[in-house]
Amino acid sequence: MADIVTTPAVAPQRASAGGSGGTRASKARKGRRRTLIAYLFLAPFLILFLTFVVAPAIFGLWISLTDYSPFSDVQNFVGLQNYIALFDPNSTFSGDFWQSMGATAIFVVLSVPCLVLVPLGIALLLNRKIRAATTFRTVFFAPYVLGVAVIGVIWGYILDTQSGILNHLLGLIGLPDNIPWTVNVPWVWVTLVGVTVWWTMGLNTVIFLAGLKGINGDLYEAAALDGAGAWRSFVSVTIPGLRPVMLFITTTTVLASANMFGQSYLLTRGGPGNATRTAIMYIADQGLSQNNMAPAAAMSYVLFAFLAIISIINFRLQRERVERTVA
Amino acid sequence: MKKAFVRALGIAAAVSLGVALTGCGGSSSNSGAVSGGGDYTGPKVDITFWHGWTGGAAPTLVPKLIEKFNSEHDNIVVKNVPQEWGDIAKKMPLAIKAGKGPDVAVLHGDDLATYAAQKLLLNADDIVKGLGYTADDFPPGVFDAGDYKGTQYAIPWSVTPLGLFVNKTVLGQAGITDIPTDQASYTAALEALKGVGVQGEWVDGYVFTGTFEFESLLWQFGGDLYNKDVTKASFNSDAGVQALTWMTDLVKNGYSPANVAQDGNIKALLAGQTAFNWNGVWQTTNSAFADLDWAAAPVPQIGTEKAVWSSSTHWVFPANKGQDKNKTAAAATFVKWMNDNSAGWAETGELPAANDVRNDPTLVQNYPNLQPFMDELEYAHYETVSPGIAEANALVTTAINEALNGKKTPQQALDDAAKKADQILKQNASKYGG
Repeated sequence: MADIVTTPAVAPQRASAGGSGGTRASKARKGRRRTLIAYLFLAPFLILFLTFVVAPAIFGLWISLTDYSPFSDVQNFVGLQNYIALFDPNSTFSGDFWQSMGATAIFVVLSVPCLVLVPLGIALLLNRKIRAATTFRTVFFAPYVLGVAVIGVIWGYILDTQSGILNHLLGLIGLPDNIPWTVNVPWVWVTLVGVTVWWTMGLNTVIFLAGLKGINGDLYEAAALDGAGAWRSFVSVTIPGLRPVMLFITTTTVLASANMFGQSYLLTRGGPGNATRTAIMYIADQGLSQNNMAPAAAMSYVLFAFLAIISIINFRLQRERVERTVA
Repeated sequence: MKKAFVRALGIAAAVSLGVALTGCGGSSSNSGAVSGGGDYTGPKVDITFWHGWTGGAAPTLVPKLIEKFNSEHDNIVVKNVPQEWGDIAKKMPLAIKAGKGPDVAVLHGDDLATYAAQKLLLNADDIVKGLGYTADDFPPGVFDAGDYKGTQYAIPWSVTPLGLFVNKTVLGQAGITDIPTDQASYTAALEALKGVGVQGEWVDGYVFTGTFEFESLLWQFGGDLYNKDVTKASFNSDAGVQALTWMTDLVKNGYSPANVAQDGNIKALLAGQTAFNWNGVWQTTNSAFADLDWAAAPVPQIGTEKAVWSSSTHWVFPANKGQDKNKTAAAATFVKWMNDNSAGWAETGELPAANDVRNDPTLVQNYPNLQPFMDELEYAHYETVSPGIAEANALVTTAINEALNGKKTPQQALDDAAKKADQILKQNASKYGG
């Protein structure tokens, strides 16, 4: 994401820097060799990417256009039938699929603001010259290294309605001690968002922190000379300085949240009912457990389309702002 | 954008990789009749044995049994391949289609039809006949779980019914010494426990225990999960509504807390917070019970007839591409030997299926906690035999969850699930070739 933002700024520089010496022919030769070397270094990744990402993706697209079944020897091309079925309220899949998409959307809407604002706040605090800043940085980043299974087990113990330690502590200070954190709405959403923020905010914090370090200190000094207070310099210096970082973080966070799987799989079992069964959970179940691979492939492409559109909108909105501030 | 693309492709990749692996085997329809016979007399063969016993006493017990078998048979070497049940479900169909599956394996009763419909199992009619097994050698209903469309595909190995686990210390707090056996005494016990501030049975809306309790009650009230040829769901019948209402009433009447999480009830029993837990025979070997004054009993008869849920495990002979008949014959010999020598199997918390082994008095002497579960086998109901049934069964759990969480009334929850289940059954019929 970040490289897309910086490319327009870098490219013209290279073109002008190249004009400073050598004949046109030798320049071209040198350029070709450089390109060749670059491709050589990229090749290992490229081969893996083509074999394990592009090829299966094309194969998946083909599956979504057939009546693929592991039990039949012949696969028939059915055109867009699998996709149309997703929009037909009478089909077996559409109700559950759109419910799972809805659950995913709820999670994205609830979690993304928290996952952007909380890390931003923490990064601002950590960016100050405080004692043991490194320790705090480690503390905030530490949960991120844990696997989702570990998170599930830890929080399962903490949040259990009857025997969890959190409800016990709430009871000690006179608050309700029977909150169904992992069992009933709306608490399941509080749990899923809270656990996800606790688990993953470290990464965004570190990226924000790097962004903050990249802002020229002179700008703050200049702002202070112009009589700007803390809030004013935050709005006029920090925020514009963080825009490329912000774009990266919002985009990756939206995508990560839309792909949430482990937390609700382990903590809420998709419940109550199917309220927290996310799109990925449903697709994985249909494709890998229930052998409905063609509809599952179609679902994954519909989800992909949604994420692509959201990413483009997000990108457009924020890029304009980047250009405006540059201008 | 690029990241989105990669991520979405990742999903597609996961789905399609599975497809690719499944597709390459081709179909290996096989009706190869292999005569089992009591003893294999052919040339020396190595056979592989896949099973999912990775916990409890099994990991030490199975190798011991296999070692003994190998030492008694010069021409057969059995290779033990344990792995998680979930891994078997993912790997075995693909392995069989690729000709790399095991020569003998153990599967759960509700998986048999799915495998049989995919033509992944050998027709075992002749093997069963050769080994001399009939339905009478096993508890009622277990042998039939291996029957799919009139062909026998499996030989029973173990059965695992639900039972009533009792924390006697907690029960004693309400001044009760007799373990309740019917609705009247059970309700009276719950009421007495409530009187001393104990919620006597914590009811949950998850697999395993919530679903299995509901199914037991459904049968007790005279209902069934599906119609006879498994084309229509019938768990939303009056019996089903009665069963689920009885469960939600436990919460309504204050006998159970609301919003119990998965396994919350067995934890509460162990922690001395509740008196009763409907749980499987496998808990009899749970070491956490060691410090507890506890007992196991048959599940109480709440409805009009005696009934209880049970699962089962079965021996199957995979139809590997180019399966060696000698290996299958050797596998049959192994199966017979294992069933004959399965007395020690009770150590793992499962009941041996073979009647003559289970009825040997020394078994109960060694494992007295198994007696109430053995008493239940006369009226136990086993899992539905129909390919792809797990997907429909999952809807039952969802309905119980919704009703217990107060999202829907029992009738509404079961009706919604039944409507969906009918669609799934119809889809299964075309998916698995009717």
